[in-house]
Amino acid sequence: MFAAARSLENWAASWARRRQGADSHSVVLKRRRIYILPTRFGSIFALMVFVMLLGSLNYGASLGFMLTFLLTGLGLVLMHHCHGNLLGCEIKMLGAHPVFAGERAEFRVALRNDTGQPRHEIELAHQGHATNPVDVAPGTQETLRIAVPTERRGWVALGRFAVVTRHPGGLFRAWTWVHMDARCLVYPRPAPPGRPLPESAGHGLGGKPDLGDADFAGLRPAAPGDPPQRIAWKAFARSDVLLLKQFAGGDREPCELDWDALPYLAPEARLSQLARWCLDAAADARTFGLKIPGARLPLGAGPQHLGACLEALALCETGER
Amino acid sequence: MKLATPASSTPAAELARLHWTIAIVAGATLPHWPLLPFWVPLLLGVAIAWRLAIAALEWPVPIRTLRLLLALAAFCIVLFSYRTINGVEAGSALLVVMIALKVLESKGRRDQLVLIMLSYFLLFASLLTARGPFTALYLLLLVWLTTVGLVQLSRRGPLLRLRSTGALAGRLLLQSLPLMLALFVLFPRLPGPLWAVQGTSTSATSGLGDTVNPGDITSLALSDEIAFRVEFSSPPPPARDLYWRGPSMTNFDGRTWSMAIDYRRKAAASIEYLGAPIEYRVMLETTGRNWAFALEMPKLPPDERAPLRMGGDYQLRTFPGISRGTRLDYRLTSYTRFRALDPLDDADRELFRRLPPESSPRTRALVQSWLADNPTPEQVIERGMDYLRSQPFFYTLTPPRLGDQPVDEFLFDTREGFCEHYASAFTLMMRAAGLPARIVTGYQGGELNGVGGYYIIRQSDAHAWTEVWLEGRGWVRVDPVSAVAPERVALGSWHNALAGDRVPGTALGRLEWVRRALLVWDAAATTWNEWVIGYGPQLQRGLLDALGFGGVTGSERWSKLMLLCVGAMLAGSLLLTLQLAWRRRRRTPPDDAARELAAFTRRLARLDVAPRAPTEGPVAYGERAENRLPHAAQEIRAIIAAYLRARYESDADMSALAELRTRVAAFR
Repeated sequence: MFAAARSLENWAASWARRRQGADSHSVVLKRRRIYILPTRFGSIFALMVFVMLLGSLNYGASLGFMLTFLLTGLGLVLMHHCHGNLLGCEIKMLGAHPVFAGERAEFRVALRNDTGQPRHEIELAHQGHATNPVDVAPGTQETLRIAVPTERRGWVALGRFAVVTRHPGGLFRAWTWVHMDARCLVYPRPAPPGRPLPESAGHGLGGKPDLGDADFAGLRPAAPGDPPQRIAWKAFARSDVLLLKQFAGGDREPCELDWDALPYLAPEARLSQLARWCLDAAADARTFGLKIPGARLPLGAGPQHLGACLEALALCETGER
Repeated sequence: MKLATPASSTPAAELARLHWTIAIVAGATLPHWPLLPFWVPLLLGVAIAWRLAIAALEWPVPIRTLRLLLALAAFCIVLFSYRTINGVEAGSALLVVMIALKVLESKGRRDQLVLIMLSYFLLFASLLTARGPFTALYLLLLVWLTTVGLVQLSRRGPLLRLRSTGALAGRLLLQSLPLMLALFVLFPRLPGPLWAVQGTSTSATSGLGDTVNPGDITSLALSDEIAFRVEFSSPPPPARDLYWRGPSMTNFDGRTWSMAIDYRRKAAASIEYLGAPIEYRVMLETTGRNWAFALEMPKLPPDERAPLRMGGDYQLRTFPGISRGTRLDYRLTSYTRFRALDPLDDADRELFRRLPPESSPRTRALVQSWLADNPTPEQVIERGMDYLRSQPFFYTLTPPRLGDQPVDEFLFDTREGFCEHYASAFTLMMRAAGLPARIVTGYQGGELNGVGGYYIIRQSDAHAWTEVWLEGRGWVRVDPVSAVAPERVALGSWHNALAGDRVPGTALGRLEWVRRALLVWDAAATTWNEWVIGYGPQLQRGLLDALGFGGVTGSERWSKLMLLCVGAMLAGSLLLTLQLAWRRRRRTPPDDAARELAAFTRRLARLDVAPRAPTEGPVAYGERAENRLPHAAQEIRAIIAAYLRARYESDADMSALAELRTRVAAFR
């Protein structure tokens, strides 16, 4: 029953898609694309009015007829108001910020109301889930977020969503399907922290870290392979936890994050590890470069560089997919 | 996979919804309270209080079994006290009980919407029996309240402000009004009920009873309640001829007169009608009986399908099968001059002469003294009237109580009474003289409503007179009151005839402007009754014929009406679409940025920066302002930059506009 309704909706939506075509990132809702049907509550309301009609006919009660027909009229008026609540509303796609695989991609959609009347109780429905409804005052806009779960790196597309309202009265559900070409970049899921950043070739583990000038920046849990000189022994004496001292400063040696440095990992796991290293390196404020199949990013630092690296990792063609 | 946080339902929001629900339920049940057995509103009150305690004091919700038991018990009690659940009153009681139990267990939006639906239905139940325009207005107000509740409680988000929702609900109802009127006029009406309805207990309001029992009544309150209204299409007869005939009393047990068993003869066929016919229309209020009133003497058409029939005592009754709760509206022809030549046989004469052997010895002795010289029956009647005229009789609505021989005591001792006393005494005197006689009850006179052009006959116009049967002349009306208080009969109304403290309860009615206002109001109420309450198949048919939509057969008319209804719905839809499109027209996006800059310009003008010239661009203006106010140069530059971004760059999330707003607001 439920599945049948869902497949019916999918069929209707694909019909609407053929009818309407794809949408740009800003759409003003026109009459042609707003659909409306009674809700279950609306059907019960209609049944009640019908029973009232029978009662009025039976008792020949004029005032009974009046209420019956007033409610009939009210139903019709509510239908038009429900339809009008969407009509002329502007839907704007504001996009989504990149997320890591496993997090939710949040697509931000703005509802703009350029009429002199308020719009009430508009919500977005996506794959059977609805956002909280918002009211949009005249001449303003409200932003709603559609959250989409992500599992794998790469692009995740929003696909079809519906703009829905049942206001006023909840007797009718007016909606429109929107097909905007919106997508969100999904970075690889970072590997659990622990594996130390690879040191630059040539100045391997033997190089003496010069701690003198660096600013102490904090502690992180130590992992196997961390240089013992940087273990916070005093902290270990107090708490039985091995912590690694971290230092900020541009004086750290740049590191090269290389796909080929992790030959023993599966390709996706390598990407996860590289993502973790990118994050660690950025957290340590180190300059770092990235080398992966199909892309090579020179040494760099800062959030923009990090974003570029993570994007390269997200879109990396490993030849397995 | 949960994509959005569930609708934030704070306890405060939930409480607001609960209060709304309770307000609507209380409003919708309000009209029923006086009609229900006391325990039903009590149950509702307890349920509401309990529900509030659940919300505020965290009382436990009664368990399911208890609720079911309560429902079952309430159902049984309703069934027991009404002996039915079919019918408006029992149905309403059951509905209120259901609402009470639903309130108790109501939790979320769905329960609240069910309660809204039940409230609408309860209002409908009130409207089935309601008639007056004020009642209708009162119920319309409650419909509005329920609609406010519908708009509020159907929301998933936080509730709207009362003012805006109230206005919205009002607008919605106003927009439904034209369609309601169209459907009210056009929807095909049925002449009869669909299924049999249990009798509603419309209590009899008549000023007339089944019996006449003058001795026991010590105070007759004049009721201003309306018995019926009459509209003459021919010139109305003078007030002294306005005798509206009702039931007649034949059997007498020494104290009480009662109606005889209908002796079913075609008495009506033997009436000779004289003079000009008087045509009129009677709009009868509900009596709870099958009586219909007519100007003496009505002539019924030979048509067997007429809704009225005339009994052997000339009383009009409705045919069985016409619901006693309906308001009758009928046209009649009467003749104030007539001869009711009822061919009585010996048994009939005996019936109309019968007196209990031991009753009223003094009266009998008096009457025997009149018969000494063998007078004609007409002379006997005249001697009776002379007696009432010559002795000190008084007409009063507060007569003393009478004992075992009420007629003797009235005629010889107290000599105070109203029409029933006189009719009773006079009829007894005629019977004692050997003349067949009976009491006729009905109404006399009426008040002309100059506004509406019709007569109003009230319960206070109720009257009783005597009818004597004379050989060759048939039944002759004798009104003994005309001998005592001729002005009562001549002027046709107590309001005009009696002044002073003998008529209680009419002090207000003696003020002229109050009377005029009441007459205007009555004219309005009559229009309401005729066109709203009385709108049925007949009026609809007449209206359609007048509009040129008449059809020959019933089904043809029916299909035309249905087509008109659909047409009205479509036309209403179109109008609504246009109206809403007009209200919702897109305005060019209000240039918020330009408005902010204008506000900024005004602010700078107060700081002696000349207003921006029409040809001056924002950047040039900004530089001019910076030169004038060097200490604020940085802030001015930031504002101009924000303006340029908000106005001319893509500002999808409106951050530039927001920045512009805060900066302008903060600028000093």
